[in-house]
This record gives sequence, structure tokens and C-alpha cells, in this order.
Amino acid sequence: MWRYTLTRLLQGIITIWFIATATFLAMHAVPGNPLAGDKAMTAEIQANLEAKYGLDKPVSQQYLIYMGNLMRGDLGISYTQKNREVNDIIREHFPVSATLGIIAIIFAALGGVLFGALTALYRNKWPDTVIMLMVIVGISVPSFVIAAFAQLALVRINGALGFSLLPVAGWGTVAHMIVPSLVLGLGTMAYLTRLMRSSMLEIVNSDYIRTANAKGLPATRIFTHHQLRNAILPVVTVLGPAIAAITTGGFVVELVFAIPGLGRYFVQAVQQLDYTVIMGTTVFFGAFLVLMVIAVDLLYGWIDPRVRLN
Amino acid sequence: MTGPHEKPLLDVNDLAVEFDTYGGTVKAVRGVSFSVEAGKTLAIVGESGCGKSVTVQALMGLVPMPPGRLTAGTAKLRGHDILRTTQIDGRDFRGSEIGMIFQDPMTSLNPTMTIGRQIAETLEVHLGWSRKQSFARAIELLELARIPEAEQRARQYPFEFSGGMLQRAMIAMAIACEPAILIADEPTTALDVTIQAQLLDLMADMQARNGTAIILITHDLGVVARMADKVAVMYAGQVVEMGSVDDIFYRSAHPYTVGLRAAMPSNDSSARHRLLPIEGSPPDLFAPPSGCAYAARCPHAMRICTEVEPPAFQTGPGHYGRCWLHHEGVAGAAETLRGMQPALRTEPGDAAGPNREEKA
Repeated sequence: MWRYTLTRLLQGIITIWFIATATFLAMHAVPGNPLAGDKAMTAEIQANLEAKYGLDKPVSQQYLIYMGNLMRGDLGISYTQKNREVNDIIREHFPVSATLGIIAIIFAALGGVLFGALTALYRNKWPDTVIMLMVIVGISVPSFVIAAFAQLALVRINGALGFSLLPVAGWGTVAHMIVPSLVLGLGTMAYLTRLMRSSMLEIVNSDYIRTANAKGLPATRIFTHHQLRNAILPVVTVLGPAIAAITTGGFVVELVFAIPGLGRYFVQAVQQLDYTVIMGTTVFFGAFLVLMVIAVDLLYGWIDPRVRLN
Repeated sequence: MTGPHEKPLLDVNDLAVEFDTYGGTVKAVRGVSFSVEAGKTLAIVGESGCGKSVTVQALMGLVPMPPGRLTAGTAKLRGHDILRTTQIDGRDFRGSEIGMIFQDPMTSLNPTMTIGRQIAETLEVHLGWSRKQSFARAIELLELARIPEAEQRARQYPFEFSGGMLQRAMIAMAIACEPAILIADEPTTALDVTIQAQLLDLMADMQARNGTAIILITHDLGVVARMADKVAVMYAGQVVEMGSVDDIFYRSAHPYTVGLRAAMPSNDSSARHRLLPIEGSPPDLFAPPSGCAYAARCPHAMRICTEVEPPAFQTGPGHYGRCWLHHEGVAGAAETLRGMQPALRTEPGDAAGPNREEKA
């Protein structure tokens, strides 16, 4: 198990290196540079600035310098913001994004497993129909549309009640977190529900459930000990990509709900070609995702013994 | 054969199962009756689709309903009707009174639970034992099932076992609560022949140890000859012949049994023996024929065979055949049946017989 974990971590580091390199190359392939703003600059000033930031050096050398800094954990200073270290930006805003994302993932995973199991147990009866209808909505309507409708609904509800049941936007208290994370997790939850449902239905007809019945086990025990664990396997498999979807999808939801997360800086930096912030946030998000996927793999190994040996 | 004063352990009477499908209603089991005595083995033989598996699954409440439907019958286990219920006196009889093993051991065990736990949970549920106590017993049971290093093996998962070992673990699981009856639904079909012999020996051992009755479902007459005391031959959802193993192999009372025997290979090289297939195919169970289901394939079919379903004629003590040839009005029927018996086997008393040692 330790060997497996170590191998996966090593693979993760290689993946992160690849992400960093690819981002670096893609970024430099975009025409222009962070100093080519709207301010008029003489060629001399520009050259001086470029020399200061090392932008006059060959790309290969810039790459080596960047990698060296990265390995020391130094993501550099923002080109466009006054005296802001990229590390500070991440330290300040990532916890907000992470909180939102983690709540959304928990909500999506628990909801998906629960609703999926319910639809399978009540196959073709009304709970199945109702939930599957919601699932179609959850999968087909993008999160920013649902976010807008959720805000509208909140405004109406708060208005009708005469006091603020839940805040419409902003960040700070637990009450602020509920609606955005629900909105953010909804699409993934819908997807997981469908997966869980088909997985459950397949397992209900499997040979080992028949064996469990032939052993005279009570239905509740068969559900908890034999169906659930096996049915969850495919759900756990897609949790890694689901976390990716939720963290990237988070940018939009953060914007709509005016949440001070990392997403805003990420998008802004790309627009302004703020090299260090783009690199910093991308590598950081990349590393975070790789870690999450590894965690999911380890979790998978814990649930399914067949995975552990390989 | 037990005397009439002794009640059989399990008495199945006139069992009928149907399945509703898009194509119509399939009459999979049509009035099957048999009984099982303690410590004895009943083999149910027949080709694929004859209803032998559905019969036992109906007893165990494993027929999915819908689409399945029990339309008639009773099954009395020590006097309690176990059809349409899974309980006797509020307790599930499955696993405790009747154990069951299945055809494919590779898929019949939960892939994410250790073998030991899967055996132990039966004990926990039925006997209320603790986890620890049950697990210790599971290791003993694996030892009984001749699994080497049972202690380590109990902590392993099904994917770490071979097919033969899995089936032995299945047997250990099925007999964990020392049930009165063990149902084995084609237990050796998915395994190779050498493993097959080991498993049959193991089942026979367990039977001798616990006095368990076995219902063995198979389409292999070699397995029947080796294991069975009593045989029920099924065809198109009915028991067409029922008798002791000697009745079935030496005094077949139904042309279908004769056909099965003629289609069975012999390892006697001196007899120049061709395997004779039964021509044709089984009837459509969406609309079973009104007469004898075998009439269309039977070389001796008479006019009445296609018109009226034959009743079960008694041809000896405990030996029944559903064939009009046994009707007293049919002249020369006994000779016809005797003439049909394949030459590959002789009477057990005949010392000159080529297969004398076969059953020894």
C-alpha cells in the first residue's frame, strides 16, 4: 500500500511538472507581454523593464529560472498588481475556493449516492421519476443559469418573509456558503445520481446478491454490506474528474455570488497576461487536482481490494 | 427408499412457475413434484431450459417477481409450506435450513468482502454469534472444505482464489449453519473435470458428516451416477421420470431418459458405440403442446401422445414414468422400452457386464 502511494505521488509530481511546462510554453506562445499595456512607453523604458523582469532573456533560460523558483516554492510577484506576491494571493483566496469546492463535492457525492440508491430501489415508481427529472435539469442547465435563478428565488423568498433567510451574495458566514455550494455541486450530483442508479440496478441482478439472498440475509444488510460498497465503485472512479469540474466550474459561481475566491484572479491574470499569476494559479490548481485524484485513487483501493495489488 | 410411514424432509407438490415476457407467458415449470429424504441425494437432470434451476430457485424465493409468478404448488419443509415465503416461524430458512451453491463461483461471491467474512455473516445473522466467534468458525469451515492455510485464506478476497477453491468456499458457506438440505445448482459446470471430482467428493463427505440431504441439479449423467440416490428427469418443465439411480440407468421408463443415455459417451472401447443425438428441439414453452411434450421427438410416439398428456405411471417401487407406453392397453410396450435401452449398460447383477466396475 505504501509503495502504491509513493508511486502515485511520484507520478503526480511528473504530472505537475508537465502542467507547469505546458502552461509556460502556452503562455509565451500568446503574442504580447505583460508590459505591453495601454500606457505609452518608450522603447528604452520597455527594454529596461524587460531586463528587470528577465523578459529579454531567451525563453529557454526564462524557463530554467522559473522552474528553479518554483522548486523553492517561490511563485514570483504579480506583474500587474502592486507589491503582490502570487503566494499571498493564493494564501488569501484559495481557502475560500477550497471551502466552497469541498462543500460542493460533499454535497454532490452524498446526494448522488443517496438519490441514486433511492431511484434504484424505487425503480419506475414515483420517487424514481421525480428524481430523474431533476437529474435531467441538473445535467443540462449550466451552473451560471442555475446560480442566477437561485439568486432570484432567494430575493423573492427573503422579500416574502420580510427578513433575510439566506444571503443572496457575499461570503463570510456558513449561511453564505449554502446556496453557492448547492448550485456548484448540482451538476456533478446529477451526474453521480445517474451513475449510482445504473450501477445499483446492475448489482441488484448480480450473482452475489442472489447468493446473499440464498444465505437468508435481511434486505437491509444486503443493501449496506453487499450492494452499496460495490455500487459506489464507479461513483468513486469519477470523483477525481468531478472535483476538477467543480473547482473549475467554481470560477463562474464565485463571480455570480461575489465570492472572493481564487477564480477571479485566475481569469483576470489570463486577460492581462500576468505571467506569474497565470503560472502560479495554474500550477497550484494543477497540483491540487493531482492530489485530489491521488486521494480518490487511494480511497478506491481501500474500497475495492482488487485495485490494491496493482 | 423410505417407507410410507416416514415423512420426507422436503415434499414439493405440483409446483408451477410462469414468467411474463414481452413475447407472452413462459410456462417454465409445469406441475413438478418430488420429495427429498434426510441424508439422501436427489439429482434433477435435464437439458438447458427444462426448468430445473427455476424449480429450486422458486423453493428458495430467488425467482424475481415480476416477471416470475408462482401459479400453483406447495413445498413442505418438515410440514411448513416454504413456497411464497422465506420464513419459518419468523426466521429465514434460507442459509439456516437450506443452503445453496451456484454454478459460477467466480461471480457468486461478493468481490469486495473477504471470504471469511462472507462465511461468517451467515453465522452472525442466523445464530446471532459475535463477529469474532463467527470468523473463527469460518476458518474451521474452510479447513473442512480442504482449503489449505485457511487462516490466511479467510482474510483474502474472491479474486485471490481459483475457481475450484471458490466453489469449496461456497460449500463451506452453504453448510455453515448445518442446514438440513444443500441445493447445488450445477456446482461443477463451470469447473474442469479434475476439480469436479474433488468437489463431488467434498459434497459427499459433508453429507456423510452432517446427514445433509442434497438436491443436485446437473445435466451431466456421469455426476448423477456418482452422487445420486434418487433421480428426477425433467423435460419441458415437467418431471418425466422419477426413480432410483438404478431405475434410471438400467430400467429407463421414459423414451427421453433413454435418449439422454444414448447420447452419453462411454469409455468402453470394445463396444463400438455411436453417440446418438436426440433429434429436434424442446417444445416452445410459450404454448406447451396439449399432449406429451416429448411426442414430437419421440421415436415411439402414438396418436394419443400428441393429444392427451400422459399421467405418471408407476413402473416399480418408487419408479414413475410419464409415458403412454406404460398404459395397460398398449401391447408390447414393455418390450419396446426394453428394446430401446442402449447396449452400453447392463443390469448391475450381470457379472459379465462390460461396465461392471463403473458404479463401484
